[in-house]
Amino acid sequence: MDPIWWILIIIVILVVFFLIIFFGYYNRIIRLENRIDNSWAQIDVQLKRRADLIPNLMETVKGYMKHEREVLENVTKARSALMSAKSPQENINADNMLTGALKTLFAVAENYPDLKANQNFLNLQDELTNTENKIAYSRQHFNDSVLVYNNLVETIPGKWFAGFMNKKTREMLQIPEAAREVPKVKF
Amino acid sequence: MQEKILVEDQIRRNKRQTIYVCGLMALLFIAVILAIGYIFSGNIIVSLIFALPIALGYIAVTYSISVSAVLSAAKARPANPQIREEKLLIYRVEEMAIAAGLPIPKVYVQDSEYINAFATGRDPKEGVICVTTGALRKLNQEELEGVIAHEMSHIKNYDIRLATITIAVVGAIALMSEILFYSLFWGGAGRGRKGEGNLILLALAILFVILAPIFARLTYLAISRRREYLADSTGAYLTRNPEGLAKALEKIKQDHPKEKPKGSKTVAPLYISNPFKRIDASSLSSTHPPIDERIRRLRSM
Repeated sequence: MDPIWWILIIIVILVVFFLIIFFGYYNRIIRLENRIDNSWAQIDVQLKRRADLIPNLMETVKGYMKHEREVLENVTKARSALMSAKSPQENINADNMLTGALKTLFAVAENYPDLKANQNFLNLQDELTNTENKIAYSRQHFNDSVLVYNNLVETIPGKWFAGFMNKKTREMLQIPEAAREVPKVKF
Repeated sequence: MQEKILVEDQIRRNKRQTIYVCGLMALLFIAVILAIGYIFSGNIIVSLIFALPIALGYIAVTYSISVSAVLSAAKARPANPQIREEKLLIYRVEEMAIAAGLPIPKVYVQDSEYINAFATGRDPKEGVICVTTGALRKLNQEELEGVIAHEMSHIKNYDIRLATITIAVVGAIALMSEILFYSLFWGGAGRGRKGEGNLILLALAILFVILAPIFARLTYLAISRRREYLADSTGAYLTRNPEGLAKALEKIKQDHPKEKPKGSKTVAPLYISNPFKRIDASSLSSTHPPIDERIRRLRSM
């Protein structure tokens, strides 16, 4: 066979080889990006759920905690901050505020035996803890996903493909010191 | 101060070792099929026509009925959200599913005094997590979370599929061995191969097929122990709190109810600790690694 054919075959093989690698990286980058967006959607769902639970909680607690205006106001304030938050980081900050305010509320509730015996209150407390844990874990999953994605688009050869696709690294969610602890489930 | 091992490294090492052991299992399976063909006719084609379809058919059936078989053997029932303990269990499972980035598995409860739990479902989409009532009563939320994270990791790592397939392969090898045994007994083997020599090779092949189920079982147990360590480390990675599971394992170690264990022995490897063996001795015949070693590894993370 003519050597020109050999050269042609080698070029075709190289092109195919390159295309396979390119498709692989392209799909991986897109898939990881989708995973990040999906994790954010998860957090968002839980934040909304949590905000929805607060009015019920307020309604239940109001009758018992007449002298704890400040505690209740803080929760309401944190909730409106959460409702008006725009960026992911703002959302997370407002949510942390809410977590702190609720922590105080539940601690104060210890002084009201009637309230603690209220079935509705118990259910709300369980459910709020549930959403709080879900938020913490989806935040963890979000940051894990961002880490995997960033590692891919920052190392060679992923960096070259990411540059070609005009993809940049994503930001992790910053978690303030106080909230960094593992969510401890409490009764 | 113990040496700290990165969870990610533990996960990677466990996965690599699983691949080796699975390779060994596959080799064993192929060798048995070929040996059967050789014994019956001196011809490998025969094994491909007869032994292989029987073995693969057996594996397919076992695989397809596994989930319902496991749940009914354990007498498990769906968790009832009206009962607070079980509602909190459902909540903890939902949370762990989010941490693992998996669909939320179905939650079942098994009425039993023992602290135990298992996962089933061949892929994450049809995952099931079952926890005993004993575990719900005796474990606190942190420990329960550790146990659920361990089971969630079994689902995430496709351990259930691996366990189901390996159980089926072990069964198929045992079936082949039994077929050979009975046909030797009735004098059927070797009929098609009259006049051919090499009796030593024939005898070796027969011996191999008869002993193969033992090898298969040991290989399988080795896989199972690997996957337990893997689920422990993945679970610790999910909760970022190895101590929760470590404490739960300590409670399991101290837990000796009077009641008899329930369930099926075949599915023992799916549980967090073997329900049929209260003393966790380290040996080749254990489905699980020794509990103390598991606790030690969790605390070294």
